[in-house]
Amino acid sequence: MSDIKSIQHKAFLFDATRCIDCRACMMACSVENNIAMDKTRIWVAGVGLKGEYPNLERASMVYHCMHCEVPACKSACPVGAYSQREDGPVLYNKDLCIGCRYCMNACPFGVPHFDYDKGLIEGAFIDKCTMCPQRIDNNEEPACVATCPTEALEFGERADLIKEAHARIAAHPDRYVNHVYGETENGGTSYLILSHVPFEELGLPKLDETPVTKVSEAVMGITIPFAVTWGAVLTGVTLGVRAYNKKKEAGRTQDAEANSEQPAEQSK
Amino acid sequence: MRVNVAIHPRLRVAPLVVVLLVLMGIAFVVAMIRYANGIGAISDLSYSYPWGFWISFDLFTGVAIGSGAFVMAATVYIFQLKEFQPLLRPSVLTGLLGYIMVVIALLVDLGHPERIWYMMIYWNHTSVLLEIGICVMTYLTVLAIEFSPVVFDGRKWNKAAHFVHRFIMPFVILGVVLSTLHQSSLGSLLLIQPAKLYPLWWTPILPVLFFISAISIGIAMIIFESSVSSRYFHRGLELPLLEKLGRAVPYVLGLYLIVRFTQLTISGKLPYLFTSGIMSVLFWTEITVGAIVPLILFSMSRVRKSPTGIFVAAVVLLFGMILNRFDVSWFSVKHPDPLSYLPSIMSNVKYLPTLPEMSVSVGIFAFGILMFGLAAKYLPLFEEEHH
Repeated sequence: MSDIKSIQHKAFLFDATRCIDCRACMMACSVENNIAMDKTRIWVAGVGLKGEYPNLERASMVYHCMHCEVPACKSACPVGAYSQREDGPVLYNKDLCIGCRYCMNACPFGVPHFDYDKGLIEGAFIDKCTMCPQRIDNNEEPACVATCPTEALEFGERADLIKEAHARIAAHPDRYVNHVYGETENGGTSYLILSHVPFEELGLPKLDETPVTKVSEAVMGITIPFAVTWGAVLTGVTLGVRAYNKKKEAGRTQDAEANSEQPAEQSK
Repeated sequence: MRVNVAIHPRLRVAPLVVVLLVLMGIAFVVAMIRYANGIGAISDLSYSYPWGFWISFDLFTGVAIGSGAFVMAATVYIFQLKEFQPLLRPSVLTGLLGYIMVVIALLVDLGHPERIWYMMIYWNHTSVLLEIGICVMTYLTVLAIEFSPVVFDGRKWNKAAHFVHRFIMPFVILGVVLSTLHQSSLGSLLLIQPAKLYPLWWTPILPVLFFISAISIGIAMIIFESSVSSRYFHRGLELPLLEKLGRAVPYVLGLYLIVRFTQLTISGKLPYLFTSGIMSVLFWTEITVGAIVPLILFSMSRVRKSPTGIFVAAVVLLFGMILNRFDVSWFSVKHPDPLSYLPSIMSNVKYLPTLPEMSVSVGIFAFGILMFGLAAKYLPLFEEEHH
């Protein structure tokens, strides 16, 4: 998509063949961001064990915010609680959130989560991965990446990681599905995935290259011009009908007017 | 109030009113529990189902059945078909109450109801929901203005009523524009889910379909409420007017069917019509009940001229079109399957509205009915305007 933009973007690369399902990333995220484990921003997806002994296979995937190049949550939020940093992270501002949960509907990956167990006083908010901007600004990798023992999660410039991913597929075409998930999905995401099993088995939706926001933003773009035109048309119709009725009225004799008080009441 | 009760100890309240008040009371208690303990305490909404019964029923259905107000306002003021004047006031009131009910429901459904006004100052111009929010808030004001002459008439404030009448046209046009925008935008709300909404429903022309069907729903609602209120308040039924209004329905529904099937054909989705299992069933049910059957019924003058016939035809249309709103906003939305990627504590892909959840909507509905009844009793709702 927009190449200049994506060159600047930071990204994750996840290699499912390297993940050992230790879930250290979940712990690290929880500690770094002070998130309760049951509200984790990372969840490890798994297809479990497949096949018959001794030919067993398993696959797991670390799943968190995809930090889309064109974030649907940001497009959907009525009050602009979402923003996107120049280097990629999609951030959420809880001070603006009205709790409508439209972002949860909009996100094709089902990432944003909501505090269903909090009342008005505690305050119910959306939560999702932030890409640890506090660490990025400190020249550190996000907590999940820093803690990963097998380098299944890596962090860097998006363009570099895409190259790296393709190089890995080229080096081991037998090992990987020949596709880097996130390179084009939903207009590109900053979370890139390599896998040895079909991506659907990891729970990833099939998405077009076109961002999901395209049609809705196009419709929003024509809303104001449409409203103005429609208002003008309706005004025209009103005046037209009024003129037509007056002509018709005048065509008839005046005794219609003299007889009845009703029809002519408020038109003047 | 106390004084009155003391003077008239045998205060008689209709049983229906008692029922309505009880329903409202239940909804109030449930809402208090929600405010104290969170939305999860009373509903089955989850990470996978952020929107459920409230959105489908209170927002999508509520706004749709409020469309009678703009249909009648356009008929009487813009096309100046003054003969329909007697139908104007009840339908404007239905619209006004309908939108008030939508707002009350949102105050329960929103995570931060105290911030609902943020929509007026923090604008994200790409958000369809923002457009709907602003339209609904503005339109509520317009409806209040359109309805105010009824209140003024009731109080015999003739000057005020006259004043509003002189300047009503800009507001009527604004109201129709706002209605067009948000009735269609409810459809646009789902445009952002091309990957989640079933292909039979997701189409770039969702807003167009929503607008056309809203017109048919508006006409059906006017017929429905006139029939019901004529029975309940023992007043004459404006059958000749309803019959005339009903003549428009086949054209509206015909246009709806043409647009919908043309779109399905062009986008090559016709195979889905018969191969999608339960989705095909839902599609054909809403098309048959909401459009095809009412189209046939409203085309028959025998049906239109019978009080029961036209009432049944309107009810059938309403059922089908409300099913359409439920389909689009709930039944046909396929959420990512969390079973494959959520830890078990979170996997809750099933959604079944809970009783407390529905009782909130029922209570709000009861409020609407009660308000309509009070207005019918104390305001010149069914009287012709006279100045």
